[in-house]
Amino acid sequence: MASKLYEERSQKIKDTVNFKNERVTTCFMGQAAPAAHMNVKMKDFAMNSDIMIKTTLDYINEIDAITSVDCLNIGVNGMRSDHSLPMAWLSKIKMPGRELPDDSLWQVVETNVLTPEDYDVIIEQGFETVFNRIFPTLVDMNEFQESIAYQQKNGQNNVELFINSDLPVVNSGFASPPFEVLCGGRSMSQFFMDCYKIPDKIEKAIEVMLPGSIQSMLSSINPLCGRGAWVGGWRGASALVSPKIWNRLVWPGMKAMGLALIETDNIATFHLDQCWDRDIERFLEIPEKKSIINTDGMTDLRKARKILGEHVAIMGDVPAPLLATGTTQEVKDYVTKLIDDIGPKGLFITAGCDAPANTKFENMVAMFQAANDWK
Amino acid sequence: MAKISELLANLEMDQLMEAVQNELDNGTDPLEILKEGEAGMIKVGELFSSGEYFVSDLMMSGEMFKEVGEMLEPHLAGKTNEVLAKVVLGTVEGDIHDIGKDLVYIMLKSGGFDVIDVGVDAKPEAFVTALKESGATILALSCLLTTCYDSILNTVKAVEAAGLRDQVKIVIGGGPTDESVVKYTGADAVGDDAQSAVRLCKEML
Ligand code: B12
Repeated sequence: MASKLYEERSQKIKDTVNFKNERVTTCFMGQAAPAAHMNVKMKDFAMNSDIMIKTTLDYINEIDAITSVDCLNIGVNGMRSDHSLPMAWLSKIKMPGRELPDDSLWQVVETNVLTPEDYDVIIEQGFETVFNRIFPTLVDMNEFQESIAYQQKNGQNNVELFINSDLPVVNSGFASPPFEVLCGGRSMSQFFMDCYKIPDKIEKAIEVMLPGSIQSMLSSINPLCGRGAWVGGWRGASALVSPKIWNRLVWPGMKAMGLALIETDNIATFHLDQCWDRDIERFLEIPEKKSIINTDGMTDLRKARKILGEHVAIMGDVPAPLLATGTTQEVKDYVTKLIDDIGPKGLFITAGCDAPANTKFENMVAMFQAANDWK
Repeated sequence: MAKISELLANLEMDQLMEAVQNELDNGTDPLEILKEGEAGMIKVGELFSSGEYFVSDLMMSGEMFKEVGEMLEPHLAGKTNEVLAKVVLGTVEGDIHDIGKDLVYIMLKSGGFDVIDVGVDAKPEAFVTALKESGATILALSCLLTTCYDSILNTVKAVEAAGLRDQVKIVIGGGPTDESVVKYTGADAVGDDAQSAVRLCKEML
């Protein structure tokens, strides 16, 4: 049975997206941040689901005992990044203790596993054909099966661990729009060149892929643990691609995925790395008070709030360098000033994108304190 | 000839290659054509700095510049542009982000530098070896991860340990780097975009 506090916090998530919250909502995000503070080797943290979950939960509870952590941005289900990221980015992942030293962070090996001919295959035969050929070259399929079996066996228990700690989750799903999948598979530089040289083909491939992307996004949502999903915007950022490419190849996919979430009564969280200033007004095309933009410190949130008003909630955006190397006072000043400038309504305070592995614990606490203490 | 720089700056790939071919057919000095290409790249860099161009545009221009270079190569036959200096460039150990580094490569190259690219996730020793083998006097390090500040530090230390620090200037750049990282790592300067890499390297001559 969920506690009263859990229910209150869950309601606060909904209220914040709806701009009905009185106080700012604090939100945890930091996939690699817990390990160092909890004295767990990155190797054990990244490679063992149970350790990852327990360490993360202990870490958040330690903060929550000092100052309230109202929710988590994305559910922690213990899925290893060498199993989850290849699906999103069609890239192999090097892991600590395996290809890398015990205490290093995982690495994305971006190579062009997709060939230009694959666009035709996608268009003619569907994305599955290409995915099924490539995926087994990116992950150890036996391990991957074990990982899925682990989720089936322990998923529910793990969700309850967080509920029992009074920690609701905004997003349980995670989706990579076709643009991002292709970009990862071709490697960023090759793919960007393709976007100039053969945009028609890419547009067609994206159209073919989109229904499948939407379907797998919706099936990744676990309603017991967060009625929402991320729509990822990493390499499709406004700062990275020209308006021509963005309008034609990035936004239509992201928008369709956002709308599909909203139609099924889920929250759409646009997870936006890098700077999206140029195109921020396009989020007005999403139905109002149903979505969140989750930015990383590079998008101008003052401008975003001005343009978007009470249309889209904001989740952000304490920058990684500040959390890693700043002082607690600097972190507090950043958060206070942000709330002063854009107001607490429709605002989740969290780390920009993802708190880095070397986030100082005291800075994490300072971030939440400043938000909870804001008057 | 101004057309070549304009076509490049406007990212008109097909027309550019045609124009280069025309100039070659007309007997224009390939070195002059190359200089025009460089002028186009400078323009692209300016458009990027002023926010009119975006990363993908910069990458596309780099690709075009490379293709022009390849087209001219057989005609240059030994004639080379004056090289300002040699630069060793790479993304530091533990970090695989290469877009920024590749842009710096393009801008330095089109700005008259000879660049030795040691790739991503490059160990301090890889930088030192490249410095020794090439005799480069500038080391340019790209770093996008706060967790890799120590890799910059270790690289600077390795250059010192190899006894090269007096001859080699070290510039850093990439997302989270700033003056405080220069101080922390003992590098010489930091630049915030690919254009500034050219400016800094010129200042260091
Ligand atoms: C694209 C991207 C990726 C791609 C990389 C593709 C590639 N081929 O490079 C992928 C998806 C693979 C990736 C992977 C990861 N990423 Co990443 N990524 C980004 C993103 C969105 C954009 C980076 C980029 O290309 N920018 C565009 C280029 C042009 O900018 P730039 O590199 O800064 O370069 C410019 C200037 O800085 C300068 N410059 C660059 N180098 C140099 C050098 C010199 C000498 C000079 C003078 C100038 C200079 O010139 C360039 C042009 O103007 C950023 C977001 C962000 N806010 O930056 C995150 C970001 C850098 N990534 C991040 C993270 C955490 C990761 C991962 C660990 C993710 C994960 N959870 O698994 C892995 C990294 C694995 C590893 N060990 O490296 C974090 C870093 C946080 C931190 N710790 O500091 C960021 C900041 C996102 C975030 N906000 O959390 N990423």
